[in-house]
Amino acid sequence: MMKRRIQMKSFHVMFVALILASTLAWAGSVKVIANSSVSASAVSSDELKSVFLEEKNSLADGSHVEPVLAKGGAVHEAFVKQYLDKSDAALQTYYRSLVFTGKGSMPKAVGSDAEMVSYVAKTKGAIGYVSPEASAEGVKTLEVK
Amino acid sequence: MIRRLIAVLIFFACAGWLPAQEFKLFDRTVQVHGFASQGFIHTDDNNWLTMYTSNIGSGEFTDLGANASTQITDSFRIGAQIYDRNLGHLGKWHPSLDWAYAQYKFKPWLGIRGGKVKTVMGLYNDTQDLDFLHTFALLPQSVYPIDLRDTTIAHEGGDIFGDIHLGNRPGTLSYTAFAGHRQDSQYGGYAYLLTNQGMTFDGIGGLQYGGDLRWATPLKGLLMGISRMNQDMSLKGAVNMPGIGSVAIRLNDMSDWTNQYYGQYSWKKLVVDAEYRRYYMLMGSNGVPSAEEDIRGWYLAGSYQIAKRVQLGSYYSRYWISFPIAYVGQPPATGHDYDKVVTGRVDLNRFMNIKVEGHFMDGYGLPNLYPNGFYTGVNPLGLKPNTIALVVKTGFNF
Repeated sequence: MMKRRIQMKSFHVMFVALILASTLAWAGSVKVIANSSVSASAVSSDELKSVFLEEKNSLADGSHVEPVLAKGGAVHEAFVKQYLDKSDAALQTYYRSLVFTGKGSMPKAVGSDAEMVSYVAKTKGAIGYVSPEASAEGVKTLEVK
Repeated sequence: MIRRLIAVLIFFACAGWLPAQEFKLFDRTVQVHGFASQGFIHTDDNNWLTMYTSNIGSGEFTDLGANASTQITDSFRIGAQIYDRNLGHLGKWHPSLDWAYAQYKFKPWLGIRGGKVKTVMGLYNDTQDLDFLHTFALLPQSVYPIDLRDTTIAHEGGDIFGDIHLGNRPGTLSYTAFAGHRQDSQYGGYAYLLTNQGMTFDGIGGLQYGGDLRWATPLKGLLMGISRMNQDMSLKGAVNMPGIGSVAIRLNDMSDWTNQYYGQYSWKKLVVDAEYRRYYMLMGSNGVPSAEEDIRGWYLAGSYQIAKRVQLGSYYSRYWISFPIAYVGQPPATGHDYDKVVTGRVDLNRFMNIKVEGHFMDGYGLPNLYPNGFYTGVNPLGLKPNTIALVVKTGFNF
């Protein structure tokens, strides 16, 4: 009986640890970057979502911003799911419905972390995302609150 | 016919690799996008959607559009789109300006747009032509009849719109209020129906105004909404009276409105939609009613993405039509069309898709009185009570 209780306890601890580990891994799977013209050093997740869904094109501090997407990959999938609450297919459908009814534009899409950093560095107001390990030289990293 | 179909398919195959274009104009980036779709329909007995579908089938089911737009400032954007289609006897390759407007957003919760504007009503009214956005080859015809797109698709006027974030708990309210003028094409369902009955059709047009309110609820993935449209239309034309000749007629709306209620729930790869639309119209001249229509339709649809590029879907669509007062002294009439549908969609890449769809229909509405899929013009020997249809459609966008 005692042995079984210890086994159950160990199982619970392992389960909670697993959940915590996957949450931490998820949270650290994307780094949000911005052009140096963006004066904010942090954005709220709601603000970030509004920018990428083209509901807003400026931040609370008045900085002009424009979203930049990755064409695909794990970082893109994680960003879209974590911050935009959509799948990649649903996001593409959303942008196309904006474009073909005249309500918005198709955001710039880039093929790699290096291309993302390079584009964000040279484009005023650009906001994008890269993997946490990617170099952020020439861009600023935004904290997402 | 076969040669034309092959040419269209080759065009699609090449065009599917077209990237979206953009160029600079006065230091502003102008984006250019386009789309096209080609369908083929075969039915067992009745001819459908003004095509001769019941023999080999018909491929007279093409549409295309292209737009250009630019963001002038953070708040101000302009753009325009042209659209053309050929659907049996409808459209007939006469291009039209689909939308062309300027939009200014003061705040996320307040914006205005003016020009020719797509009418926001229900889940899909403004995107009903955009085949690549939908799982189904044909949207539920009880609510989005493809032969009557002119009657709701756009207005020349303006919108006031915005998104109001109520906070994390209550969700987001999005509103659109619209007003403007609508003018039906000479190549739409009404024109086809009336000219087939010997009438000269000069047009239907008039004032259209209303609104849409939708609530993205705190329950993740659940959206609910309501739309209303009032119209003040005039129908102008002429009829040939035996022994008299051509007599001009003009009928005016005495009451004309549409109510629509809708909901959508998305969970992971599953999307479930349901909508109900009621359209009521009383028309006459000099205050004397000469036609009263009451049309009610609803559908329940579901689609599921079973693989990265494959979706399966199904819907059940019900449509009732009632004419308490029918035109030219005909007795009151009622009709229906119930449609069970299954669909498979495969995305060949990000820009191209192909869909295969089966329709199992019971009923055919009132083909002599109201345009809704089935017409006596292409069914001169009468209609059978049931229709099975196979729809194959491919499309691309860039």
